[in-house]
Amino acid sequence: MRPPRSPLGGPRRPGGGGRSPLTPRGAVRIAAFGVITIGLIAVLLIQLWFLQVVRGGQYEQQAEANRLRTVITEAPRGVITDRNGTPVVSNRAGQDVVGRPQDLTGPRGREVLARLARTLDVPVRDLVRRVAQARQNAPYENVVLAEDVPLDLQAYLQEQRRAFPGVSLQSVFLRDYPRGATAAHVLGTVGAITPEEFQAFRRRGYLGNERVGQSGLEATYEQYLRGVAGRSEVEVDAQGAPVGRGVISSSPPVPGNTLRLSIDLPTQLALQRALKAQVRLAGLSTGAAGVAMDPRTGEILAIASYPTFRPDVFVSGSPRQVRGLLRDGSQPLLNRAIAGQYPAGSTYKPISSTAAIEDGYTTPDEELESPGVIELYDREWQGFRKRDHGIVDVRSALEVSSDTYYYQLAARMYESQGRTSLQEWSRRYGLGRPSGIDVGGESSGLVPDRAWKRSICTPGALECSWLPGDSINMSIGQGNVLVTPLQMATAYAAVANGGTLVTPTIASAVLDQDGRVLRNLVAGRPRREIRPAIDEATLGAIREGLFRASNGDEGTATAVFGNLPEPYRVAGKTGTAENPPNPDHSWFVGYAPATRTPRIVVAVVVERGGTGASAAAPVVCQTMAAYLDFRPGRCGEGGEAN
Amino acid sequence: MAPSSRRVDLADRVRRAAAGLDWWLIGAAALISGFGVYMVRAATRTDVPGQPDYYFNRQLAYVLVGLVAMVAVARLDLERVGRYVWVLWGGLCAALAVVLIIGSTGGGARSWIEYGPVRVQPSELGKVVLIVVLATVIVQRSGDLDPRRLTLLALGLTALPAAIVFIQPDLGTALVYVAILFAILWVAGQPWTHFAVFGTVVATVAVLVLWALPAAGVDVLKPYQVERLTAFVDSGADRSETGYQLEQSKTAIGSGGALGKGTDGATQTINDFLPEHHTDFIFAVVAEMFGFVGGGALILAYALVVWRGLRILSRARGRVDQLVAAGVVAMFSFQVFVNIGMNVGIMPITGLPLPFMSYGGSHTLTNLVAVGLLLRVAQRRPPQVRPL
Repeated sequence: MRPPRSPLGGPRRPGGGGRSPLTPRGAVRIAAFGVITIGLIAVLLIQLWFLQVVRGGQYEQQAEANRLRTVITEAPRGVITDRNGTPVVSNRAGQDVVGRPQDLTGPRGREVLARLARTLDVPVRDLVRRVAQARQNAPYENVVLAEDVPLDLQAYLQEQRRAFPGVSLQSVFLRDYPRGATAAHVLGTVGAITPEEFQAFRRRGYLGNERVGQSGLEATYEQYLRGVAGRSEVEVDAQGAPVGRGVISSSPPVPGNTLRLSIDLPTQLALQRALKAQVRLAGLSTGAAGVAMDPRTGEILAIASYPTFRPDVFVSGSPRQVRGLLRDGSQPLLNRAIAGQYPAGSTYKPISSTAAIEDGYTTPDEELESPGVIELYDREWQGFRKRDHGIVDVRSALEVSSDTYYYQLAARMYESQGRTSLQEWSRRYGLGRPSGIDVGGESSGLVPDRAWKRSICTPGALECSWLPGDSINMSIGQGNVLVTPLQMATAYAAVANGGTLVTPTIASAVLDQDGRVLRNLVAGRPRREIRPAIDEATLGAIREGLFRASNGDEGTATAVFGNLPEPYRVAGKTGTAENPPNPDHSWFVGYAPATRTPRIVVAVVVERGGTGASAAAPVVCQTMAAYLDFRPGRCGEGGEAN
Repeated sequence: MAPSSRRVDLADRVRRAAAGLDWWLIGAAALISGFGVYMVRAATRTDVPGQPDYYFNRQLAYVLVGLVAMVAVARLDLERVGRYVWVLWGGLCAALAVVLIIGSTGGGARSWIEYGPVRVQPSELGKVVLIVVLATVIVQRSGDLDPRRLTLLALGLTALPAAIVFIQPDLGTALVYVAILFAILWVAGQPWTHFAVFGTVVATVAVLVLWALPAAGVDVLKPYQVERLTAFVDSGADRSETGYQLEQSKTAIGSGGALGKGTDGATQTINDFLPEHHTDFIFAVVAEMFGFVGGGALILAYALVVWRGLRILSRARGRVDQLVAAGVVAMFSFQVFVNIGMNVGIMPITGLPLPFMSYGGSHTLTNLVAVGLLLRVAQRRPPQVRPL
């Protein structure tokens, strides 16, 4: 028999063949053994090829991510100042607790998060959720786990940092409000980007872990206020300690630009003080709001709502404090100046006057009886307190705030085909839609018309069409007319400036670090002439009526404004908006100086404040005093008048 | 034979000694060992502050001692050793038992005996002892025992030391013992049905230990062992210690790419992300620094060792020689596959060193002694020198 071949070694040499233990079966076994061992080694080569050549790029990124830490140096957000440069919102230094998402997942990471949650006294699922979200969005950036932690907690985390791998402290700038609650309702808040907002911000070049303006001016002007954080790449070892060349690249932080408001701090403070005082004085009042504006440009000089809140609750307040604010029945977070909707009451009368005169139902000089009660459409309609004002034209009707005068005009308008005069002119004066002010949350108010009446009509109701009473009520700003203080300020600004509807604007300019103006925010705002243009004679008559309402012998607000020196004369209208079953809302809207170019228009409403002259008018007077610089002592006490 | 001068006599003796030496095997083992010393230095020069050569010096010494041992073993008379086979086996079991009682701990296992500066890991040297014992006993008793009893005897001889090592606990080394046993029985020509039974038993035990018993509340393995054994299945999912090691190892290897990042650019190793980079994960260091070219060349060098081992095995003259060679080849190939396999993420993390490469005295010595055994087997082939 032929000697067997070695499976690996070539032909056997004749010399040793006889004594070899190798049998044919043995050779097969050795061959199988060899195939297995060499085969396993081939498997290793294939897997090595797969790891290094096929997926090498991916692992290279992973290795780079291991090696490089990005250190973020936060840039301060832009400061917000009043029109004179006094800071209203600035920054202070704080420390956030941040974590690296890749170190805080898995069982080990969850342990750390659980420990951290106990330390911070927050639910662990909040932290887990934040980490999971960050891991998805920006896995190599730090995620904020707790904002603005107190000093003792900072010290504790520093000491115990071995117990919190992947967690560190990061210096941050936090919003600071040196003036407390001043203008709180329009400044807005800054906070983390929410999951819903993430995609939109991502498109604008954000990483997703920044703090951004969430509401108010902070949100509107985010693009200017936002600072660009500095970043440096540092090489680290497995423990996170810098090694080797250390800093690899860095870019310095760029602070945000300054936002200058048109708000005048003394005027703002006067308005706030006066609102608060009147609400307390009125006793039953649930709140108040006011707006002061430059009628020529729409620049907001003061804007306030009461009750108010301290905005730093949203920066460093406890969750309980925040919840308390949100649930407070007095709605301190509601910006009543732009979102509060009230019946206009008699402050609506300049609009009724414009509609009646411009559409030809009367003339500025036509005189009408103004009895205490008048019969129209087989019904008796009462004027305020059933007072008889004798014979009035439009000027004296405004002065004494005659209701029956307007009832008659309303009846004329109702009877003619132009039943929509009041609606059309209301809209031309800017009612029924947002004014376009540069903070969110504005209400539209309501200009009731036939379509609206049909839409609220319940099946089976008696009458769904527009009735004479609807027009009659509307002519004195009652019925279903709803307005915001800001809308009324804009409408009166149009009366004062000769018929231009301005767009209210709180921010006036963006400034760089050296105070140079980068962008004028007022110049580009829309201004619309009211069309068709209001006849100068009509406006003149209305202005005179408003002037007499505040200065005339029988003026409803003369008790408040009658004593002002000549350069500060006020033209304006009281309003007493019925609010059954609760006490009336008190309104006053006016502008000054009335005898020259008006520089300020102020609209104030005091909820359940009583008559217009009693609560709202004094607030307007105090506010104007601060802006026009006359002694507030010249303002009189309000009386009983609508 | 004509009297010759001392010089001629010496030259002849050297020639006779060198004749039949497998230079390919020696070359490959020495090359890998030398490369291993170099890699230990490259991987550890920042590990001990102020002493970049701490591990390098020691590993160099181990290799030199190992080479001397290799030459010594290559001259060993296996027949004479065979007479003391029971002494060897008893000594092995005793040493392992002593370690278990008074040994010192390292890496979670009680595996070392310390005597002054010398630290010996008996389970390492136990591998070659077990090879010699099994080969000798099987050949000695194959005449008077039927195959089943012979298999059971070999099983028993392996089971005791393997069990002690397993308790230490050093699962990897215990598995090496089992691999050696299987290879020797296989080459010894034991019936394949025995292996089918083995396979079934091993599969059943694995299922019981890893799944069924823990489910029933009985934990055979320590938690870290279970974790190690199962982490490679889905390492991306967890960030536990084991998953972390595996992820860092794969990252180190993958980031090396085709050509590697060089000894200075291998940040996974130098910046300490890769754990155990001079022992269990030294292959990942090679792959990170020298890429697919370096890692592939190293694997091919192991293929060369295994191929030379198989060649020696197939040409062995005696039965004992044959089985010793089979045991050594099994030991090398199993350790290479399991170690590199765990580095590249296709095998569980069992804590086995890579032959000739990983840092460690007992382990380096054992592997070079095993090479010596192969050389011994190769040399016992009929002399290839031309007739005098």
